[in-house]
Amino acid sequence: MSELTLGLIVLVVTIGLLMVGVPVAFALGGVAVGFLVVFEGFGMLDFVAESLFGYLNSFGLLAIPMFILMGAAVASSRAGGDLYEALDRWLYRVPGGLVISNLGACAIFSALSGSSPATCAAIGKMGIPEMRKRGYPASLATGSIAAGGTLGILIPPSVTMILYGIATESSIGRLFLAGLGPGLMLVLLFIAWSLFDAWRQGYKLTGADRVFTWKEKFTALPKVLPFLAIVIAVLFVLYGGVATPSEAAGVGALLCLLMAIIIYRMWKGVELWEVLRATMRESVMILLIIGTAELFAYMLSLLFITQSLAAWIADLEVNRWVLMACINVFLLIAGFFIPPAGVILMAMPVLLPIIVSAGFDSIWFAAVLTINMEIGLITPPVGLNLYVINGIAPDVNLGTILRGSIPYVGCMVLGIVLLCFFPEIATFLPDLVFGEQI
Amino acid sequence: AETLRASHQWPGGTGDMRDEMVQIIAKEMEKSDTGVTVRVYPGESLVKAKEQWGALTGGQIDISAFPLAYAAGRHPEFNATLMPALVKSHEHAKRLNDSEFMQDIKDIMNEAGVMVLADTWLAGGFVGKEGCIVEPADVKGKSTRAAGSSFEEMLAEAGASIASMPSSEIYTAMQTGVLDAANTSSESFVSYRIYEQVECLTPPGDTALWFMYEPIVMSKESFESLSPEAQEAIKAAGDKAEEYAAQAAKDADENMVKVFKENDVEIATMTPEQFQAWRDIAAKSSYKNFAESVPNGQELIDKALSVD
Amino acid sequence: MSAFIKGVSAVSRVTGMAAAAMILVATLVVCHMVFVRYVLNQSTIWQTELAAYLLIAAVFVGSPYVLMTRGHVYVDLLPLWSKPRTRMVLAVVSFVVSFLFCVLIAWKSWIFWHEAWVKDWTTDTVWGPRLWAVYLSMPVGLTLLSLQLIAEMLAVLTGREPPFGIEDHESLKIGLAEEDVVGK
Ligand code: NA
Ligand code: NA
Repeated sequence: MSELTLGLIVLVVTIGLLMVGVPVAFALGGVAVGFLVVFEGFGMLDFVAESLFGYLNSFGLLAIPMFILMGAAVASSRAGGDLYEALDRWLYRVPGGLVISNLGACAIFSALSGSSPATCAAIGKMGIPEMRKRGYPASLATGSIAAGGTLGILIPPSVTMILYGIATESSIGRLFLAGLGPGLMLVLLFIAWSLFDAWRQGYKLTGADRVFTWKEKFTALPKVLPFLAIVIAVLFVLYGGVATPSEAAGVGALLCLLMAIIIYRMWKGVELWEVLRATMRESVMILLIIGTAELFAYMLSLLFITQSLAAWIADLEVNRWVLMACINVFLLIAGFFIPPAGVILMAMPVLLPIIVSAGFDSIWFAAVLTINMEIGLITPPVGLNLYVINGIAPDVNLGTILRGSIPYVGCMVLGIVLLCFFPEIATFLPDLVFGEQI
Repeated sequence: AETLRASHQWPGGTGDMRDEMVQIIAKEMEKSDTGVTVRVYPGESLVKAKEQWGALTGGQIDISAFPLAYAAGRHPEFNATLMPALVKSHEHAKRLNDSEFMQDIKDIMNEAGVMVLADTWLAGGFVGKEGCIVEPADVKGKSTRAAGSSFEEMLAEAGASIASMPSSEIYTAMQTGVLDAANTSSESFVSYRIYEQVECLTPPGDTALWFMYEPIVMSKESFESLSPEAQEAIKAAGDKAEEYAAQAAKDADENMVKVFKENDVEIATMTPEQFQAWRDIAAKSSYKNFAESVPNGQELIDKALSVD
Repeated sequence: MSAFIKGVSAVSRVTGMAAAAMILVATLVVCHMVFVRYVLNQSTIWQTELAAYLLIAAVFVGSPYVLMTRGHVYVDLLPLWSKPRTRMVLAVVSFVVSFLFCVLIAWKSWIFWHEAWVKDWTTDTVWGPRLWAVYLSMPVGLTLLSLQLIAEMLAVLTGREPPFGIEDHESLKIGLAEEDVVGK
């Protein structure tokens, strides 16, 4: 049997198990172990425990739970609401100010949170009821937050970028910066669409039911200052190059936890336990997938499937942009079903050599890949953000949320196209800060 | 036909000498008509760098280009192959290969089921962000990155503060001021473009502090399963790789000096007296710790030091 | 049987809390290292290693709790769309695959742990802790994970819990466990 046929069988079995409802971590591990036993014998398994431990034994991985803790601590406090309110008080008179406040708050919150659902939850809790109260359609209110929340993994810090950095051995700092430009681009595209949509449907974009005085505007600021201070401190530590991502994340997490405790008075044991519990659940889920996905990649490499597939695609000699389009379609479909951690860790060992040999910049590609993963967060069946929104606004049915989100998928596809035409959107900042890539 | 798996941690196909060594063995086996092919998995594409020893002794891979000190957690004696100031030069390293010291090390490898196909020692040097690092006083109070725990012990004894990080992070750490000085292999200094960040380089010359044993190793079980002809062929291939590496390791040092010079980095030399001063510091720290924590540790050090 | 399910769940809850605490401690260790390295400008010997080991331990001993609270993501498309009987079959297949993997790895990690214990392996760093202590969380966590899988399977087969946590009347409405909204 050729390696390519074998690869096809692995693919079919993996998709089959995922569809049955086997948790992603166990499906990947199960397939890896199963194929190793069938093709190499039980002896191959003697090494599995050591490998699994080795995959997780990395100081770099610590950035993941720390950035999740940072987001969880802030999300559980009223900080997200305060941020949103401050923006609203300043922007209420601007046409469409409410939409801008919401998406802007999502973008700023993303700078503190490494994960998208946390961003969605933190801003949506305040933003969605407010937008609906002021007469925006439910689909727009929920869709814009679902989409704005996806920025959590594009605007740094980002768990997805950390995973990409680990899978491809790229600099995490560089990857983080590569997400910033595209993140801002998406915010603008989202705002543009939201305003157009509201205008098209005949909703008035201005006219809040009350007027904010200058005093009210300024009293809203001190509340968001500690929040902004931490964002700036973490960014400084990361790009001022004072410390590694894990170190910056650790300090950021502690600061956010302290902020939640001191400023938002979350000192009850139950509240802290909730934050830690949420952090632990998400981290353990992602890290277990990391471990088993590496096992999966080991199996693919040992059976020479990865290498054969890369060689096969290189031999096709297709136009590099056709290749890029195919890769995007693949990522998009994979993202519909599999959470970002699974897609990146499974696909990157195979994709990276292909991308690099076709002359694409691997840092630039991280931004493209992340936008694809963002799309997966607001499309069924595993659109985590849709479910988060559904939890926040239980009276809006999932169909409405989905309908509201679809146009933003269009914005993201447009964003990917723009990135292909103007790769500098992603590469300008990292090249500026770190110099051209070695 | 039989396929052997060869794994290593360096980039494949870019001219890294350790990759080249493994490729030489693969090519020689291809030519040998013994029906044995060697499939190379470079750049940790199969097994992570530090897990290769376990994979080799467990039978998951057959061949590896392996920095032996990575397995020191299992065989603490291996730390002697990354001990500061123990090997002075490439010529000295060559004499060590046939010494009692290396025989003891190879006995331990053999007992674990691993044999050596090609002996290789790689040299390295020091860089300083401000000023040269030639004697112990030069690292005092400086934040330093060292390759290997014995080096960390020696530098700490000399008064440096130690920052552990992979060599891939030295560049950024230097750029941002986290690091004042670093020590690693000649190959890494060049491939990570450290010359852009430093003022001074102390290359390995006749007096080098940093040498690391990075042999091509093979699982004994895999070797014994080969036909006698194939065993001969792979041994011959190993010799060929070793011959190549002896020259390539020296070339790597020269190339480093050339590249650093081109980038206006000052090149410093360590005098024999300065070398001795480092060795005295090492004797008080790394050698002492090694002798205390490893059975026969002192004996190993003595055997190594007795080779002139 | 009920006692078994309750007992395993209770243990999972305790180890889950331990895992959450480990992540907090890892955070503090990282902060301590930052302080020592950048403020005091002194050597840091054990912090990176300890923090990484704490995280690994959190992953393995936290896993049973995450399983219990449906935190290990899975694709619920087919289970949601299928009839109750089919859903039960899917649940059993899912349990069997997960269990086989976990129990196999648990067994292999006990062997690995035992080897580290007998041969007295350490890490190859200056700090050099004993590896058996570092590895211990893996076999313990994975064994508990396997037990938790059995408990879940029993709960479903005996009708104590619906398969995939989907009640029959819910099958068309895609719901979300309350836990999944971070910081709700
Ligand atoms: Na973010
Ligand atoms: Na999806």
